[in-house]
Formats: sequence, C-alpha cells, structure tokens
Amino acid sequence: MLVWILFLLCQVGAPALAQDLCQRDAPNGYKVRISLKTALGEDAYEWNQSEMFFFQATMAFAMRRHFQMETYNVDNIILCVQTSRVSFWFVVTSPDNTTMLIPKADVEKAVRMSRHRINNAFLLSDRTLEFLGIYPTLAAPVNPDTPPWLIVFGVVIGAVCAGIIALLVSSLLQKRRKEKGMTEDGQDEEDMQVKGVENGINLDGTYNRGFTDDDRFTKL
Amino acid sequence: KVVHRHRTATDSTRPGNWLDSEWDNPMQFVLACVSYAVGLGNVWRFPYLCQMHGGGGFLIPYMLMLVLLGVPLFYMELAIGQKMRLGSIGAWRAISPYLGGVGMASVVTSMYLCLYYNVINAWSFWYLFHSFQSVLPWAECPVNSNLTGPVEECERATPTQYFFYRETLDISGSIEENGGIHMGQALCLLLAWIIVYLFIVKGVKSTGKVVYFTATFPYLVLIIYLIRGVTLHGAINGVKYMFTPKMEQLAKPTTWINAATQIFFSLGLGFGSLIAFASYNQYNNNFEKQAIVVSMVNSSTSIFASIVTFSIYGFKATFNYESCLERVRLLLLNTFDLAEDTISLENVNHWIAELNRTHPEQFASLGGRLETCDLEAELDTAVEGTGLAFIVYSEAIKNMPVSQLWSVLYFIMLLLLGMGSMLGNVIAVITPLSDLKFISVLSYLVGLVCLFCLLLGLGFTTRSGNYWFTMFNDYGATFSLLFIVLIEVITVCYIYGIKRFEKDVEDMLGHRLNWYWKIMLAGVSPILLIALFIFYIVNYIQGGTPTYQAWNKELGKSVVTEYPPYAQAFIGLLLASSVCCIPLTALYTYCKKRNLASGKRERTVSTVSA
Repeated sequence: MLVWILFLLCQVGAPALAQDLCQRDAPNGYKVRISLKTALGEDAYEWNQSEMFFFQATMAFAMRRHFQMETYNVDNIILCVQTSRVSFWFVVTSPDNTTMLIPKADVEKAVRMSRHRINNAFLLSDRTLEFLGIYPTLAAPVNPDTPPWLIVFGVVIGAVCAGIIALLVSSLLQKRRKEKGMTEDGQDEEDMQVKGVENGINLDGTYNRGFTDDDRFTKL
Repeated sequence: KVVHRHRTATDSTRPGNWLDSEWDNPMQFVLACVSYAVGLGNVWRFPYLCQMHGGGGFLIPYMLMLVLLGVPLFYMELAIGQKMRLGSIGAWRAISPYLGGVGMASVVTSMYLCLYYNVINAWSFWYLFHSFQSVLPWAECPVNSNLTGPVEECERATPTQYFFYRETLDISGSIEENGGIHMGQALCLLLAWIIVYLFIVKGVKSTGKVVYFTATFPYLVLIIYLIRGVTLHGAINGVKYMFTPKMEQLAKPTTWINAATQIFFSLGLGFGSLIAFASYNQYNNNFEKQAIVVSMVNSSTSIFASIVTFSIYGFKATFNYESCLERVRLLLLNTFDLAEDTISLENVNHWIAELNRTHPEQFASLGGRLETCDLEAELDTAVEGTGLAFIVYSEAIKNMPVSQLWSVLYFIMLLLLGMGSMLGNVIAVITPLSDLKFISVLSYLVGLVCLFCLLLGLGFTTRSGNYWFTMFNDYGATFSLLFIVLIEVITVCYIYGIKRFEKDVEDMLGHRLNWYWKIMLAGVSPILLIALFIFYIVNYIQGGTPTYQAWNKELGKSVVTEYPPYAQAFIGLLLASSVCCIPLTALYTYCKKRNLASGKRERTVSTVSA
C-alpha cells in the first residue's frame, strides 16, 4: 500500500519537479528561437509536438557527442515556456541524477560543437535557429596570397605600358624612315614645304613667300 | 594660283613638330569639348543642387544662367583660341600685352586642378579593381581579429563608409595628423598618370582619337544605368522626389548663385582648356554653332545624369526604409513572442500603436532600440561630391543583383568622365608651355609635366591626403576662376574692344556678331560675374573660419573641424598665387616698356649730344 502511494507520488511529483527545473530565465537554461517562415517561406513545416520531440532528440545527440561517455536521453532535455513565435526554454539534466542540471557552459560547448548538425536537422541556419546567448563563430576571412585587385591592376598597367612602348617605337621608326627618305633625296622635304602641302595633299601653284612665317628667322 | 593662309597681324604658326597640329576634323574638336565639359560635376554636383534647391524648379535658374552667362563666355573663349591659335598665355599676351597675366593665372589654376583631379581617377581605379571579387568588399564589414563580430569602426559607420574611409584612404583623424603613403592609392595614381601621358603624348593627333571614346562611352553606360535604374524597386520614389518642384526655393538668392556657379564650372571656363582646344582649329571653323551645341549637350547630360542618380537614390532610400521596417518587425516579434506571420511589413506601424496600447510596460522596455523608419528622411539625405560617387552609389550598387557587373560599368564610366576632363586640364597646361618653347620635343614636355604632377600628387595619397584634396577642391579653382573670367570679359569687350572682336569673328566666320552675343558679352555677363564675385567674397568673410569634415574613427562619422592656422595660410596662398599673376604681369610689362622707352630716349639723347 505504502509502496503504491509512493509510486503515485513519484508519478505526480516528477513532472512537477521537472517544471521547477525548467522555467523562464532559468540560470542553466537557454532560450531557443526558431523562425521557420523566414527560413523556408512556403515550404515551412508546422511546429508541433513531434518537432519538439525531434529537438529533444537532437539535443540529446549533441550532449552525447560532446561528453562521449554519458548516455543522454530525450528525457534529459526538458522544454518549457513555448510561445507561438516559436520560442522556448530548455534545460539539460544529468543522466545519472535527474534533479541535477548540467551547467550552462557545458551545454554551450555541446551546442557549439554540433551546431552545424542541429541546424541541418531542422533545415535552418544560424540566423533562423537561434540559441540566445550562444553566438555563432563567424567564418574566418579568406586571405589570398595576392589580393585580387593587384592582379587586375597588373594586367591593366602592363597593357598600358605596352601601348606606350609601341607608340614610342612606332614614332622612332617613323622618324628613322623620314631621315632615310631625306638623305636619299634631300630636296623633297623642302619642296613639299615650299609647294604648300596642306594636310598631306600636294597643291599645285607657287607658294607666295610673302606670307611665310618669317618670325622664325628674324627674331629681335 | 596663289596658295596662302588667311593671316592677320596677330596670327602665327606653331614651332617645330607642332606644324601639323590640328584636329583631323571638326567633330574631334566638338567631342573634345564635350568630353572636357561633361565630367564628374554633371554626375555628382548637379543632382545635389537639384535636390537642395527644389527639384524641377531648379531648372529655371539653371537654364537662365546658361543662356545669360554660360554660352556667351564659352563662345568668347572659343573665339579667342581659334583666332590667336595659341595657348592661354600667348593668346592673352597677343590681345593685350599688359594682361598676359590672365593666361598665366589660367595655367596656374589648371596646374592645381591637374594635381588633385587625377586622384579621383586613382580612386575610381581602386574601386574598379576591387569590383572583380565574388563579394564586393564594401558590401559587408570585415570580421575583427577574435572572429566574434565585425570591426567596431565598421559597425558604427556603414560598410561602404568603412571601405572608403579606412580601406581606400586609410584616413587620419584630422589634417594635422600625417601618415605614410597608401601604396595602393599611389599605384593607382601612377596608372592614372601613365594613361594621361599615353593619351596626350602625340598631341592632338592622339587626343583627337581618344575623345571619340571618352565622349561617347559614358552616354552608353548612362543609358544602361537609366534602364536598370528605373526598373529598380523604389526608383520611382526618387524620381518623383526630384521632380516635385518646390517653387519657394526660387525666392532664395543662393539658388540663383548656385545655378550660376554650376554653369560656370561645369563648362570649364577660365582654365584655358577651351582656348587651347580651339587653337588647334582651322581658321574658318564655325565655332558659333559648336559653342551652342556643346553647352546644350553639357546641360542635357546634367539633367539626364540626375534622373539616373535619383532613380538610384530612390532605390537606396526604399531599400534602407524597408530594411528598417524589417528590423522593427523582428524586434516586435521577438520581444512579444508573436507568431511570424502576424506582423508584415505593411502593418508594422499599426502593430506598434496596438502593442503600445495593450502591453505598455513591455513596450517601454524596448526603449531606444525601436527605430523610426521614414522614407522622406532617407530621401532627404543629400550628398554631393566624392561622398555621392563613392559611398552612396556603391551602397546602392551592392544591393543590385549581379552587383559586380554594375560596379564595373559604373566605375568605368566615372573613369572616362574623369579622364576626359583630365585631358582638357593637361592640354591647358601643355599648350602654353609648348608655345613658350621651353622644350622642343613634345613627348619630353608631356612626360615632364606628368611626372611633376604625379610626384606632387602623391601627397594626396597620404593618410591626411583627403583633407588636402578637399581644400584644393573647395579653394583651388573657385574664386580665382571667377576673377580670371571677369578680367577676360572686361579685357575682350573694353580693352581689346568689342568692335575689334566683332571684326575678328567676322573674319573667321564670315558673318557679323549677332546682337545676342554683343549684349551678353558686353553687358549682362560682366554684371552677373561681378555680382557672383561680390557674393563669394561676402560669403567667405561671413563664413568665419573655414572648416572641413574630419572622419572620426570612434564615432564612425564625419565631424566639422576648423582648419589649423597653417592650413588657412595655405588656402590664402592658393587663392593669391593664381590671382596675383594678373597684376604682377601687368606691372612687369609696364616696367619693361618704361625701361625700353627710357632706354631709347637715352640713346637718342646721346646721339644728339654727340
């Protein structure tokens, strides 16, 4: 009889005890916020008791993975204060002693270790499955050996310098060709000027010397 | 058949290898002027003025000033250049020996412009090269060393501001704090000067071909951007905002003053570039029609560019407004633990009122975290100058799909606009120097000028360089130009004589000066210029100590700081150095003539006595 009363008490008492362990702003608990519609839009699944069970299972997996020796179960993850936002609080109890809570720091380490797996289990990301208080580690910046801009710069400046060299070389060749042309028949250049070459077109006629640029020769 | 070039007493040909220096055809000249006049100011100053002075209503003073001030002065400079066939120094000396200093002042001002303007091209190159990455570097804040969050300075400011002030400029806290040269900037400046050298080394023969591209390609990019811009979400807000005229702004004198100065600087009057360009023209080139065409093209480009700018503005403002609404929505959802689909972007404001009513204590706990989102306030943030081009525009671009492509296109356009104007600036310096026959070989002269400007320009790539840049930008060319052009107009109309000018124009064009040109040049323009000049002096005196915007790293924003005394003295030096050329040269010429005259008298006296 006494045993039966005790058994009844335990059945009633245990969940009450669990409720005491998990509450809003529990010192060893974390608040979880899930944004299904933001993450999945129209493909968002409904958040119901089965999903909550899945969460418990995922957390138990994370705890097992971190501690490796202790066998955590879904009963060790206690959830409470569920809202329609989809947010809730959870605490983790030790598998050996269900009244003892696992400290916050250990839970954090477990979550950080398996964060990627937890996110993927729910098809969510760091931003849409938030553990308030556990900040995701940002990806380390990728530092290439040569910054990409320097490569583009090198290409452009190489092309421009090649252009300048080509220009100078071509003008040099032109000058040399002109000089060679002058030594062969030196009169041609003079005649071209005298005959009044305008824009390369040889105009017939006498060049009226009265209008040449005498300034060059008679400087004061 | 006698072949001769139409000559008058003041005509002269160019020495040595400049003999064949003429534009290949009049189209090259027009495109060169367009490329020079259509510059960065059309893209970043005109839209700002439009916004500040009442949107569509600003077009009225703008057009009026164009007709009264811009076109006649443009015409006058082209006429002088084409007639004298010399750069600014030689041309003004030929017009009036005492006022050869006007040309000198133009060259000094152009030199200042050359020094700092190419730094903008260096920045454009920097941004262009950084656009070839999968994620634009100004799209996100870099993470700090602990990998816990973004860098603090970036957090307080915005990623685009951080990229400009920290990674591009590595700016110091004030003009007094100097620092080393930013190597990336120095390399980009070197590239910019090498390209300028390449475009000018062969004189107008090379420049003439380059301007086909620099004058036309920006329009292509602007059209592409217009199509992209007006199809962006929220662009219509910006365009509506711009074109809603606020007629009461027309009553303020600042509106008219700003319209006049914008026309003035946008056309590039007084730098000597227009004289230099026109000096390579055929003697009988019809510059009258070309002056009108170029001025009209310049103004229409300003209006066109501001439509593009405002559609981008509208997109950015709408994007920021909607992001703000989204943040408020999330804050409300998280604080009150409501289901996700209860609050949408449309009824955020309704819910704020509702929740304030139903849960006042919890609402009060939100405190300062609740932002007010206002679209008008976003649109009202008017920015001009480098801030618009490099911060606001890049912020808008990073939110567009395929942002790398738009970024590349935009910065190529900025580069072409900047390079086109640079060509005019450098030619304005080189033409008179080559006329003075210091160095006979053109490529050496160009190389020397480019090297000189590059070395001095490296000063603008130091950590405090941007503050010196702003100083040059604000004071280097504004006041001195007004003075120069005022003296120019008075010289041509009253010292040289409007009658002589009329005869010269008739000589070149074949028909007499229209009454419009005569009235404007001799009457209206000088009066307007004097008014502008007086206004500038009054404004400067009333403004007190000149100030600048210093970037504060801790606050993550710019603060207004006063210039230290030595910087103020430098400003005075900038203003005085170009303006002083005019009276000093006049004095020098006067003394020389007096010595010559007294020398002759002495000799005659001695022969008589002997």
